[in-house]
Amino acid sequence: MQKEIKKTKHFSQSPEEVWEYLTQPALIEQWLMKNDFQPVVGHKFQFTCSDTAYCEVLEVEPCTRLSYSWQKNSAKSGQSMNSIVVWTLIRKENGTELQLVHNGFTALEDLLAHENGWNTCFAKLEEQISTVKK
Amino acid sequence: MIAQTLDVFQVVADPSRRQMMQMLSKESMTINALAENFDMSRPAVSKHIKIMYTAGFISITDIGRERHCTLKQDGFNELQEFINYFDKFWDSKLNKLETLLNNKAKKK
Repeated sequence: MQKEIKKTKHFSQSPEEVWEYLTQPALIEQWLMKNDFQPVVGHKFQFTCSDTAYCEVLEVEPCTRLSYSWQKNSAKSGQSMNSIVVWTLIRKENGTELQLVHNGFTALEDLLAHENGWNTCFAKLEEQISTVKK
Repeated sequence: MIAQTLDVFQVVADPSRRQMMQMLSKESMTINALAENFDMSRPAVSKHIKIMYTAGFISITDIGRERHCTLKQDGFNELQEFINYFDKFWDSKLNKLETLLNNKAKKK
């Protein structure tokens, strides 16, 4: 079972330029969502859409690393869907490698931390399902 | 009894419930056998069982006078769907960012 999301993209722009698109509200909105982001650790902000995300800035290392917590429906379901988004920018000869990791899904990660138990569990489930299919 | 409409994340957020699911991942168990492993009242165990059952993590079969709990796929599927949702979400957003930056590069 997948428990985190990892994406990598290459851009011809410099890390400085890509950084702007990760940290300036007007630029973020162009590709992600409406927001009131500020590159300040501890700043609480929201990505606004039909399914608003409640966030807090965790790390800011200009042009290198940015991370924030990402919580869905905080008003309704408490901390049930907390997670963490981490952006890493790596300078390359011909531009920037941008890495995204979205993980730390509360409960899920904890639940899957017991790899062995759960692998057994999922193996069994798969077994059950394939048996049913036959 | 309070109506339990917990989402899957709330269901797995509780350590006791996770422990119960881990035990059930090894074998099906009766509610009584499960309860023996936990230092809590029988009604408390039943409440957890009900929550896991409602969310689709376990199924319950009556065999004789005993109620047997078995792990079920549905709840786990929903957890996986949540991750899949974000996976697609970021694909689409990053593609947008790529388009934006590419267009910007062309304008120069």
